[in-house]
Amino acid sequence: MIHPRLAGPLRLAACAGIVALTWLVVLPRVGRLPTIARHVRAMENRQVNPSAMVYTELERLPLRPDWAHEQIILWP
Amino acid sequence: MPHDVTVSGHRGFHEDTAAIVVGGLLVALALTVGWSARPTENAVSRKAFPKGWPNPLAATIDKPQTWDDSPTQAMSDKKGKPVTVPILLGMAWVVGVLAAGTALRGRSVAAVLPGAAALAVLGGLAYLLAAQKLVNHYNLEYPLWALLVGLVIGNTVGAPRWLAPALQGEFLIKAGLVVFGAEVLFSRLLELGLPGLLTSWVVTPIVLVATYWFGVYRMQIPSKSLCMVISADMSVCGVSAAIATGAACKAKKEELSLAIGLSLLFTVGMMVAMPPFIQWARIDPIVGGAWLGGTIDATGAVVAAGEMLGKELDDKRPAEVAATVKMIQNSMIGIIAFAVAVYWAGWVETGARGPRTSLAAEAWDRFPKFILGFVATSVVCSFLFTRSPENSLWVDGATLSFTSRLRGWLFCVGFVCMGIQTVFRELAPYLSSGRPLLLYVLGQCLNLALSLAMASLTFGWLFRKVVEP
Repeated sequence: MIHPRLAGPLRLAACAGIVALTWLVVLPRVGRLPTIARHVRAMENRQVNPSAMVYTELERLPLRPDWAHEQIILWP
Repeated sequence: MPHDVTVSGHRGFHEDTAAIVVGGLLVALALTVGWSARPTENAVSRKAFPKGWPNPLAATIDKPQTWDDSPTQAMSDKKGKPVTVPILLGMAWVVGVLAAGTALRGRSVAAVLPGAAALAVLGGLAYLLAAQKLVNHYNLEYPLWALLVGLVIGNTVGAPRWLAPALQGEFLIKAGLVVFGAEVLFSRLLELGLPGLLTSWVVTPIVLVATYWFGVYRMQIPSKSLCMVISADMSVCGVSAAIATGAACKAKKEELSLAIGLSLLFTVGMMVAMPPFIQWARIDPIVGGAWLGGTIDATGAVVAAGEMLGKELDDKRPAEVAATVKMIQNSMIGIIAFAVAVYWAGWVETGARGPRTSLAAEAWDRFPKFILGFVATSVVCSFLFTRSPENSLWVDGATLSFTSRLRGWLFCVGFVCMGIQTVFRELAPYLSSGRPLLLYVLGQCLNLALSLAMASLTFGWLFRKVVEP
């Protein structure tokens, strides 16, 4: 029987253990699977930040594309 | 502006006013420092300064960098430069914002400092979890991990008494939104001309209103604010829209957490599935890019999906169109949050009116005033941005290298606070009914259909000639 005062810290320690195991062992291993590693490498080579929440967090600011610069106007 | 009386009897600003003052001062500081350090050569060259003028405040804030095997890798950037000090200073900014907000509200700053420091460290831990390479590349953004860190602590050991005065998640998110306003530039709306404008501005409001209406009146979901947050994060731009509209309609912590979880879950799936589907269905790459930009919630995931599509076709245009359409949607957050706040104050939260108070006065009382700060920083920065090419580099330098990072820290620690204060039991009814999930799925189906139709109409037909190289 676990003492009620110890239950909380024990649950916290268990959660911390699961998180540590997942982040330090499982995720790095999954990341080394060939398909996933290829995808990650391709994104890195293209300077993509897939975790950007808004455009200001992107590696490259999406400005009006060169090919569209002269051609797209507000009204045709 | 309204004042409130604190428990100790000291008069202080209302939370919204404090958020406006602190957020506004931080944006003003970033702009002032950026202007005083403006370059003397090539000051108007976008090629020389693609992300705007360098801002000295950038050295005072950063977050853990992407890491693979060991978290120690997070302490150096891609060039190998250590970022430990800017990360610690980033935490110090959060403590400073919390202290300033507490002082403005007439409360004891000393009582807040230990808890603020602890929360800033927990925010750093959430950022560290989000920076793991695999997590980062599948767009599982920091708010999810900040909520998780908070939930674990709140539901195991609980918040100790000394932490309680610093648990000001709503204030941090409001202050973060005022700072965020500087990044929401109206001038970005025109980056793709009429096709971009039509794809974003016609479809997004239709999907937002239709999903909200369906959730409230057809599916009979009891919480209107939950329907609004789900509709906004699904139709506008994911987590950032959920945060802004959630604050505007005073959504509960559990509702915002649920909406963010749904959005991130579907973002991962759509980011992986949509590019192969576009190729399989032989959809035009530019139409496909616009479709990705109009439907996938998170900006980073849109760019990643656009790049995946472009890589297969050896064409950079899908990614460019996708990113720009999403940027236009990002720029709508201010208008949508303002509209939601007005609608909520005027038509949803209608209580019993006093005998001498007008409807307008009642609505003004309920209106979340911090939204005015959010809109004000957006209008001021948009005005400065459009005045000249030089000014656009000035504003970009201040926002991209400082305010966006600061806003990230404020949101991150705000979500840790929300997680700590959320009880698992209160999340259960939302999860067990399954209706929020169904609402998200139905709304996203409408979004997919309308966005594809509008992208085909504008980029594929009406303006076909102007988008061809």
